[in-house]
Amino acid sequence: MDMKRSYYEDVRLFSSGVTVFWFVALMVFLFFYPFVFTNYYVYMANYIAINIIVVVGLNLLVGYTGQISLGHAGFYAIGAYATITLMTVAHFPFLAALVCAGLIAAVFGFLLGLPALRLEGPYLAIATLGFGLTITTVIGRIEMLGGRQGLHAPDLVIMGHHLTSDRQFYYLAVTITVLLVLLARNITKTKVGRAFIAIRDAHIAAETMGVNLVLYKTMAFALSAFYAGVAGGLYAFVLRFIEPELFNLFLSVFFLTMAVAGGLGSVMGPIAGAIVLSFLDLQLRNILSIPYIGDWLRDLSASYFSLTGVSNIQFVIFGSILIAIMLFEPLGLYGLWIRMKKYWKPWPF
Amino acid sequence: MKNTFLAVMMGALLMLGFVPTGHAEVGVTDTEIHIGQWSPQTGPAAPWGAVARGTDAYFKWINANGGIHGRKLIHHYFDDAYNPAKTIAGVKQLQEQTGMFAWVSGVGTACGLAVKDYLMERGIPWVGPSAGSRHWVTPPQKHLFNVYPLYLGDAQLLTEYAVTEMDKKRIAVVYQEDDYGKQGLEGAQHVLEQHSMELAAKVPVSISDTDMRPHTMKLRQAEADAVLVFVTPGHVARLLGTGKAMNFEPQWMSTTTCGDFPLMIAITKGLYEGVITASFGMAQPTGNVGGIEHINNPNHELMAKYKTEVYDAFAADDERWGYTFTTGIGLAEPLVEAIRRAGRDLTREKLVAELEKMENFQGLMGRITYGPYDPDDPLCRIGQQEIFLQQCTADGGSKILTDWQTTEFIPMSQ
Repeated sequence: MDMKRSYYEDVRLFSSGVTVFWFVALMVFLFFYPFVFTNYYVYMANYIAINIIVVVGLNLLVGYTGQISLGHAGFYAIGAYATITLMTVAHFPFLAALVCAGLIAAVFGFLLGLPALRLEGPYLAIATLGFGLTITTVIGRIEMLGGRQGLHAPDLVIMGHHLTSDRQFYYLAVTITVLLVLLARNITKTKVGRAFIAIRDAHIAAETMGVNLVLYKTMAFALSAFYAGVAGGLYAFVLRFIEPELFNLFLSVFFLTMAVAGGLGSVMGPIAGAIVLSFLDLQLRNILSIPYIGDWLRDLSASYFSLTGVSNIQFVIFGSILIAIMLFEPLGLYGLWIRMKKYWKPWPF
Repeated sequence: MKNTFLAVMMGALLMLGFVPTGHAEVGVTDTEIHIGQWSPQTGPAAPWGAVARGTDAYFKWINANGGIHGRKLIHHYFDDAYNPAKTIAGVKQLQEQTGMFAWVSGVGTACGLAVKDYLMERGIPWVGPSAGSRHWVTPPQKHLFNVYPLYLGDAQLLTEYAVTEMDKKRIAVVYQEDDYGKQGLEGAQHVLEQHSMELAAKVPVSISDTDMRPHTMKLRQAEADAVLVFVTPGHVARLLGTGKAMNFEPQWMSTTTCGDFPLMIAITKGLYEGVITASFGMAQPTGNVGGIEHINNPNHELMAKYKTEVYDAFAADDERWGYTFTTGIGLAEPLVEAIRRAGRDLTREKLVAELEKMENFQGLMGRITYGPYDPDDPLCRIGQQEIFLQQCTADGGSKILTDWQTTEFIPMSQ
């Protein structure tokens, strides 16, 4: 891993001037992105930004604190429904509704964190999975939330400006994403982040050292849920219509997959995981349009698979890519990055 | 120097996604008309993927017969796995990178609602969403033309038939807690009010429910003699099985979604015999009321023609000839007809004008009529309000109970 030599080196937000340069370059790139790319790619960037928020938050729980969650779609749903309801019923402005939705999700995260204190591994996975399924079932039964018929998102207005296009929404989504990623990175460098890591590595030793397990385990859940809640609130405005069925188990699994494939226990890993897997999720349906390969896959499907085999090829490829990542780099995409850095640092010696 | 400058300009334009086409209308060239569609080919709703495959085979057949005014229909359909986020992505990509002239069908209420504003804001015609939702006409949109008959109408017609023709006194409704089920409940209540009757019971079903005993118990306690079922085919099968086991056998009735009798007979292991459903195709009721028709019936000339010329010639080997596949044809027929009527000089404006002029057009489904756009009149875009009733026979045939009947549109309360 990336070893640090002193405490002060470890807590710095940017490890060097080079990092600052690349961060500024990234910000400039993000600013001009909508001017360079077509609307479709702007929509894709919005989708990826929202997934980054969830996965960075999930990583604080899974990667840093070592507590698994298969119920994040539940927090995501809470955020989406709370944002729309606060805007339409309580007439909150969007940003206030979004923050409140994140906090409401955080409260639920805290509550889920309480039983999680006594659960570990597969038991915790089942408990969180149950939570995710329960949330969508309950939402589907509440008439005020539209029941199973869902809710339409109101117009998105910020300081008198109507955000109607993907390009306008892009700056909102990316700004919030950058802020939340910086927040997550800061948290990991504070006392709280170190407590999370201590709990993950040896919770008994951590408790012996004075780390309050109850406080930090529930805090990790609440923090992670806050991230998912904010992302859910943004997602509601990407779709403009939400219904309980959208927030299913597969979505929770997808979030966890992005975190694991990206690399647990880092901030950059989940970002890479969210970018790569979200991109594949949206783009793999175009695999049949690739010259030669598409035709070959179509023939293969017609010869050996069923009617929809050709459509399922994308899942086979998606799964194969995941297996390849885990097989060749257990630390995920972030591990790949670390390996590259290690290779180049002493090069050519 | 000039060439270099031009090349740089073209490159910049391509990068920005403004691909100059040289044609007046997006998605129309001298030889092609590009039509988009989404449908789930994978995931939980994969069985409905046959809708898009039906449309695809239909377009191939049109192209094999010379196309429309010298142009081929290029059908771009993609798998959205019933996930609205993917629907948006696919629609935007096809619209912005390839350029669709119009969109047809599109399975799922949530998926459709996710892209409705996008298509309407850009004035892109969308014909025949594949879901019987009032959202498509509430409020009506200039470029959105509904084809699929609303579930409200199914409920009205079934309830009316149960009360007046079968003399049923205690009607109950089992409904899914969503738009589909709520429409059923509303339609049934609307008709019962006209007869000064009340529902014997209304029993909600959650999508995740697997045990139907509590629901059946409620129906039995209410002494229901006719039960309208607005749930998925899988839940219908469970309900009938549970009813049989609990000795509760009322007159079961259901919607167009459960009207594929060969399929329903198979999944209920024969219990579907006697069930009455609404239908918008597969049989030809006019002149055949009281008769029994099977899926490949010669009475329905158009259906027989599609079977041999579309399905046999262009469908995949393991494609099933049934309700879902033919729905894909039926939903696309008005669009094809309007393109044909618009002539060689095809524009979206002309297409919309031709659709608006469409009166009593009949393809596979009931008669379709639109009118000039009126933002206060849902009927100008509702298209089809005709269905008929059929009863399932032991071998999956359809006993025709009524001719085409026009149903009443009830506006949304909220």
